[in-house]
Amino acid sequence: MMKKQSSSKKMNPGVYFLINYSVPIIFTILVAFAIPLSKLSANYFVTEIMIRLSRNSFLILALLIPVMAGMGMNFGIVLGAMAGEIGLIFITDWQIVGMPGFLLAILISTPLAIIFGYFAGIVLNRAKGREMVTGFMVSFFMNGIYQLIVLYGMGNIIPILNPSILLPRGYGIRNAISLIGIRQVLDKLIPLKIGGILIPVATFLVITTLCVFIAWFRKTKLGQNMRTVGQDNEVARISGINVERTRILSIVISTVLACYGQIIFLQNIGTMNTYNSHEQVGVFAIAALLVGGASVAKANIPHVFIGVILFHTMFVVSPRAGKELMGQAQLGEYFRVFVSYGVIAFSLALYAWRKRVEKENERKKIMGYRKSILVK
Amino acid sequence: MKEKIKSIINSVGLPRIIIFFFLISLFVLAPFVGVSLDTSLNDVIVRFGMNGLLVLSLMPMVKAGCGLNFGLQLGIIAGLLGALTSIEMEIVGFAGFFTAVGVAIFFAVILGFLYGTLLNKIKGDEMVVATYVGFSSISFMCIMWLILPFKSPNMIWAYGGSGLRTTINTQGYWFHVLTDFLKINIGNHITFPTGTILFFALLTFLVWAFFRTKIGSAIIAAGSNPAYAKSCGVSVNKMRIVSVILSTVIAAIGIIVYQESFGFIQLYTAPLYMAFPAIAALLLGGASTEKASIKNVIIGVFLFQGILTMTPSVINNIIQSDMSETIRIIVSNGMIVYALTRRIERAR
Amino acid sequence: MRKRIIIRTTLVAVLILIGIFLYTIGQEHKVIIDNKDIIVNGNTYNASTVYKIWVDNQEIGVIEKNGRAVTKVTGVSHKIVIEAISDQALSGEKHERIFKFKSNEGAVINIPAMVNALNEWIDKTN
Repeated sequence: MMKKQSSSKKMNPGVYFLINYSVPIIFTILVAFAIPLSKLSANYFVTEIMIRLSRNSFLILALLIPVMAGMGMNFGIVLGAMAGEIGLIFITDWQIVGMPGFLLAILISTPLAIIFGYFAGIVLNRAKGREMVTGFMVSFFMNGIYQLIVLYGMGNIIPILNPSILLPRGYGIRNAISLIGIRQVLDKLIPLKIGGILIPVATFLVITTLCVFIAWFRKTKLGQNMRTVGQDNEVARISGINVERTRILSIVISTVLACYGQIIFLQNIGTMNTYNSHEQVGVFAIAALLVGGASVAKANIPHVFIGVILFHTMFVVSPRAGKELMGQAQLGEYFRVFVSYGVIAFSLALYAWRKRVEKENERKKIMGYRKSILVK
Repeated sequence: MKEKIKSIINSVGLPRIIIFFFLISLFVLAPFVGVSLDTSLNDVIVRFGMNGLLVLSLMPMVKAGCGLNFGLQLGIIAGLLGALTSIEMEIVGFAGFFTAVGVAIFFAVILGFLYGTLLNKIKGDEMVVATYVGFSSISFMCIMWLILPFKSPNMIWAYGGSGLRTTINTQGYWFHVLTDFLKINIGNHITFPTGTILFFALLTFLVWAFFRTKIGSAIIAAGSNPAYAKSCGVSVNKMRIVSVILSTVIAAIGIIVYQESFGFIQLYTAPLYMAFPAIAALLLGGASTEKASIKNVIIGVFLFQGILTMTPSVINNIIQSDMSETIRIIVSNGMIVYALTRRIERAR
Repeated sequence: MRKRIIIRTTLVAVLILIGIFLYTIGQEHKVIIDNKDIIVNGNTYNASTVYKIWVDNQEIGVIEKNGRAVTKVTGVSHKIVIEAISDQALSGEKHERIFKFKSNEGAVINIPAMVNALNEWIDKTN
């Protein structure tokens, strides 16, 4: 007697699309509401978005490679940001300015970023299956180590020449350092003004180069290896790929890119909050990527840019909308933090749920197949 | 003999042993650097009472296989709502305290149920999602604190602003009702907070008894071996929800006890990271992502609060600087990272 | 294997060299220019008139008697040009010097000393 097997839920493609892209869709609706509410001028708007695109894209692009290798959302980019900041502390201390300062910061922080990334990679390898939580906790842990170095070591064991960046007590770096020496040094490298707005041509060129690099990397042997590892560890291992080394490499590359991204970010802003600048880097970058439609298993370049535009629009618009709507800008600020966290929670939950549903369907299929063989 | 030592080190874990000896050495050093031993001991005991319940709340979920409750903040929110309601209604003393607890339990059950249903849909990935659910709910409550219609003048901004203050004083309401209950004064510096410790012991006993009941054992079964539990007719999903509700309720009570002892209700972003010290303490006490017992809770809270109390005072007197915050970050987060990476080793 | 080590060491050496290069050409140095009386070997040289200052072909400004100007320059080698101003106009009396910095140095330049072609026209500070 053959029981009619109910096959996996075949959703009609429209519903499937809605669920898959629920995050960007909800976001677009939210933003569409909030923009007119905030009463911001189009000019201001476009300038802000352009600046934020040039400032943040590099960091978010750094997230793509670990996703390829199946490591999920790399909360460890915070480590790269810290490495970059240490580099910037040194060039500020030595008073190196302009493009040489910028390049020197990159030069010094790269080895540091590699070491941090390597450490993160090793830890993540020992926590297979829960990379994201572990990455998250590692970033907090490293924050403590960073404080140890910057708040206690510098001025003490690590020689600082310029006492103006130290705290009054004689050691430890101040809370905020002016990066005026390298302020907008990359942005202004190729000056272009349209309608009174400065367009950071060089920065965009750098970002484009990174996009080209990532696209090319996908096709290289190492890139292919990473994708195989990302799809299935066992298959990769059988094909002779050193799974552990590939995973570590993906994190190292991501950390180094994040380091550069943070330096690019800070050169645009012009000041560095020594202890706070890197805190929200992970959360905001990941939220932006998820808003752009990426998921834990799949993230590519369009996601990055759509994400930056949507996410940062919300960011810019919320405080003003909050003020117009409820008379308190503070409300808008809390709202945007809530949305950032909420987006991540929602996307991750959605992804986990879908993963389970797919596993269940696979299992049912296999059981159904077995059953049909038995009956025969 | 060497083999035995090695096996103990392996099972207990090197970091825990290091931290234990570190703590002992701090206690030994204390009198030499001018830190009063009895004040420190008193501090540790008081903090034990303050934080114990929050750590205890993590236990049911671990036993049920839901992992470490990174979404502790939901229980905290329930507790905050309870505390605020009790102050709004101007109830003082023990009555105020228990009103707070009652209202908190009400909210905790609802939130716990919703939270548990969500977790059931994402089995295996609970921890990451829980973290962000916790964060986003605290952020959401930040908005709520601004617009909820609370009127008590002790709680809202003084100059006619709207919304609740960031910290609200519990003095005059139920500050120290437990701590001073039956308190024992030993010498000049030690005030043993009998009430708080008794309350903690009472709840611990209740939890211990609960896990000996039928439902309790069903939860343990669901956590350690879901397939077997299912075959015995236990609904794994239902048991998980029960454990989540229990955890949330205990956490809600826990935060009220914390406020009772601390003296302030902290709103807005303060509770954002409160899950981590509790989790670190539990792990320090010997628990893992799959196993947690009452023994772990007690040892963990003692060790963790011990370090938190002793390190600043001793090291500050030696180095003449305040490293407490940094050390706290390194120890608590390092402990969690360590526990997260150990699990795989065991499975191998 | 040996080839790899050689290539890697060379790479590191090159990077270090680049680093030193960037450090040298990118370091900012503070230059103070004084129009004050200066005593050298027991002789006093007085500051007389107002001077206009250029550093690296950039106009810094005008320094009155007993005045001081401060500026920052980047890199190793720099040129300072001063021209006296009398009766509200440039007099055409120019003086020019080239100065170089080592790492972490600053300089104090004295105009009367410069005008009188003394060796002590510049004082390097750390």
